[in-house]
Amino acid sequence: MKVPMIPAVAPALTVDAVTVRFAGLTALDDVSFAVAPRAVHAVIGPNGAGKSTLFNVLSGAYKPAQGSVWFRGTDLTKLQPHDVARLGVARTFQNIALLASETVEENLMLGRHHITRTGFAAAALGSPAARREDRRHRARAREIGAFVGLGDKLGATAGALSYGDQKRVEIARALCVEPELLLLDEPVAGMNAHETSVIAQLVRDIRDALLIPILLVEHDMGMVMAIADRVTVLDFGRRIADGAPDHVQGDPEVKRAYLGAGEE
Amino acid sequence: MEQLLQLLVGGVSLGAVYALLALGFVIVYKASGVVNFAHPALLMVGAYVTARLSAAGDVPFLVAVLVGVGGAAVVSLTIQMLLVSPVARRSVVAASILTIGVDVVIQTEITRRIGADILPMGDPWQNRVVTVGGLTIPQTRIVALVVGIALIAAFFGWFKLSTWGIAMRAVAEDPETAALMGVRRQRVSALAWCLAGLLAAVAGLFITVFPSPGLEPVTATIALRAFPAAIIGGLDSTNGAVVGGLVVGVAEVMTQGYASELSFLGLGFHTVMPYVVMVLVLLARPSGLFGTRELHRV
Amino acid sequence: MSESGIDVSRDLAVAEPAVRDGVLAGRRSAARAAGVVIALIVALAVPLYLDAFWLRLGMFAFAGVAAALGLGLLLGQAGQLSLGHSFFVAVGAYGYTFLAAEDRTVGVSHQAGLGLPPVVALVLAVSLAGVAGLLFSPIAARLRGIYLGIASLGLVFVGQHVLFNMEALTGGFNGRNVPGFTLLGLSFDDLPGETLYVLGVPFGREEKLWYLGLAVAAIAYLTCRNLVRGRPGRALRAVRDRELMAGIMGVPVTRYKAYAFLVSSMYAGLGGVLLALAFGRIVPETFGMLLAVEYLAMVVIGGLASPAGAVAGAVFVSCLPAVLERYAAVLPGLAPDGAEGISPAIAARFAFGTAIVALLLLEPGGAAAIGGRLRSRARRARRP
Repeated sequence: MKVPMIPAVAPALTVDAVTVRFAGLTALDDVSFAVAPRAVHAVIGPNGAGKSTLFNVLSGAYKPAQGSVWFRGTDLTKLQPHDVARLGVARTFQNIALLASETVEENLMLGRHHITRTGFAAAALGSPAARREDRRHRARAREIGAFVGLGDKLGATAGALSYGDQKRVEIARALCVEPELLLLDEPVAGMNAHETSVIAQLVRDIRDALLIPILLVEHDMGMVMAIADRVTVLDFGRRIADGAPDHVQGDPEVKRAYLGAGEE
Repeated sequence: MEQLLQLLVGGVSLGAVYALLALGFVIVYKASGVVNFAHPALLMVGAYVTARLSAAGDVPFLVAVLVGVGGAAVVSLTIQMLLVSPVARRSVVAASILTIGVDVVIQTEITRRIGADILPMGDPWQNRVVTVGGLTIPQTRIVALVVGIALIAAFFGWFKLSTWGIAMRAVAEDPETAALMGVRRQRVSALAWCLAGLLAAVAGLFITVFPSPGLEPVTATIALRAFPAAIIGGLDSTNGAVVGGLVVGVAEVMTQGYASELSFLGLGFHTVMPYVVMVLVLLARPSGLFGTRELHRV
Repeated sequence: MSESGIDVSRDLAVAEPAVRDGVLAGRRSAARAAGVVIALIVALAVPLYLDAFWLRLGMFAFAGVAAALGLGLLLGQAGQLSLGHSFFVAVGAYGYTFLAAEDRTVGVSHQAGLGLPPVVALVLAVSLAGVAGLLFSPIAARLRGIYLGIASLGLVFVGQHVLFNMEALTGGFNGRNVPGFTLLGLSFDDLPGETLYVLGVPFGREEKLWYLGLAVAAIAYLTCRNLVRGRPGRALRAVRDRELMAGIMGVPVTRYKAYAFLVSSMYAGLGGVLLALAFGRIVPETFGMLLAVEYLAMVVIGGLASPAGAVAGAVFVSCLPAVLERYAAVLPGLAPDGAEGISPAIAARFAFGTAIVALLLLEPGGAAAIGGRLRSRARRARRP
């Protein structure tokens, strides 16, 4: 399938004919789409449609059988995960992947890893450069923590926070990477309407502050309709629709995928 | 050629003993998820009880063996119920490290009791040999092979066909579902540990009879062969345990038999050969020959 | 369950007090600083008051501290279950001996050596141990959990076999003398006729080595603590707990696992050099599985991810056998050489075997966790 054209801009991220197979199961089948530079782009679809697999391909964790992903002139599928991070691709995880026994601040500092340079020797000797770098980046991490609404919880143990707060730590940590592309994997899963709207606003704030493309995997149609500029729909690993939210909402293929053919 | 055949037979019979040892180790791992570092200690317990009893005078050898085997099974069960089970519920890694402590304590005690002696097992086969088709085979090795094959066959028959065997496989495969199906994990674990003690003790008997001088503290190092054997086969594979045991037995005996040709590898190389083989196998197959490979999901 | 099958922080209830409570650290630091100064004065004064037995014991403890800190980094921080630590300690011990000793042929026995200055030999031995760790790390990277543990145990056995057989290097079964240490012309050995006097106390080999050991152990502790608190420690813990996530966050996972082996083996090598100096004469018998289990005991007893815990565990395990032996006459049940009862060496083994069992049953976080609990209780008691 060809990559759909986005009117008037060169895409920031291009997913080109990506196919992923796991031992007989085709998780992603010839998926192509493009993300505009400052857009919030949602990827939706029923469970098992391949959305998280897509994110893992974008992060460099899975290598596709076919296809490529272009970002900042580089094919991400050829890179190791940490090199993808160094290009500025940051993500959150659907099942929270924090270090539960450490503080929120330490979790955020992990996101700063690829921007910092203190190696084993410098750290072991406690060099002034190491200490300066630590101070500077801690200040920035605290700033980001405050931006996300966790200012007073930085010293708390991550595992002890509420689910909603943990999701926020995930987002803050992704921001600490100083991303050029942000991947949010079901950021409002399991949240009530109020929490969802708070996070939706946060996503808007991030887009306005950082002016980066944000790719969003989500089930919550309300949130998607409210904040997405463009939507790609997956079903059984295939792209079945791509376009503006209202257009996609009315697409009969999409309705069939979510509601089933011949059901009410 | 004759020497090769001789060594092969010796290797297979020793391998059968190692297979018993590795099998017990793997059974425990499959049933309870714990790596039992006290496995060598169980072997020592069984062998020690048998040796002391049969030296006590009027005790028939068979009785001494049965008591030794039973003793090892009981010790194993006690370890499982009192120490491992409460910790394994929380974490199998912590339980595994705990067994290191148990091993140290039990081995220290047995070493203390043995002292500088070498304890004979009092077996009826002594150093008698049998000549078959030009090959000279110690009687002990023939018995070891026969008993080993019988026990392994009995175990696999039971494992595949009996209710308990199926229960154990279910627990190893998917503990939660097994529990929902009514399988009592605690009972399966307890049974597994008992079996491990039993198999370790039998293996211990055959390791300490001819051509070995008897039970001494260094016997425990031989018992350590269970680990590379189990790893070579794949830690969660009962078939693998048998294969691994045979591989280790044959490798060790062959290396020992050709020691003069292999003298450049150093004196006593046959004792480290199992580990060398293990590392080589792991380089090619990081989960052992038959172990399940791990999948990674984010 | 983490990808490696071993979730060190969950399974062994890792206590990392230094990484939390950043806010409270300031208030505590004055009391802490005073404590450190007092401890330092006491440590410096020890050779003036205690006899050779304690000084020698201290040297063994310092050696154990260096090695245990390394294992703590590998197991506690990076979550790599390597049981082969005694192999890298052996590399350090024999590396130093070979590099510093004079090449000598006495009759038919040839003892190889390069005759380098001891300081150079020490640095090179530590580097050699590090390189050995680095070489092992690709094998380690391919193995998961307990497979790595037992493969590394294999390393110990193969290593010991090599040590027993390379007679020119190790002196075979009978062992080899360890060259004394010298630094800038000052010899850390006994020099007949040239005894150094400090404040009226004659300073022989044990006294001088104490300061060397103390300095080395202190440096090892401080550097290790800095690593744990800083960027490397954070990255290693991420690799330990959530390897896939760590990579996606930008940590080059395989490289960091290699670093973990490199650095922990260097600490092991350092411990090996101190151990060699403590013994004065080393035999391959020493560097086997029992020593590997002792190091494991040290970090488990002390608390896996805590450098301070590693120090405590190392002191406990190193000193226990000798202390029991010294006081065998007064302790009930113990038998000094040959008498009725349990020999002190055996009693020591019972003790640390039991300690491992008890700790894992009751407080898997080890001494560090117990210390942390006592500290929070004290803090809570202070607040009304």
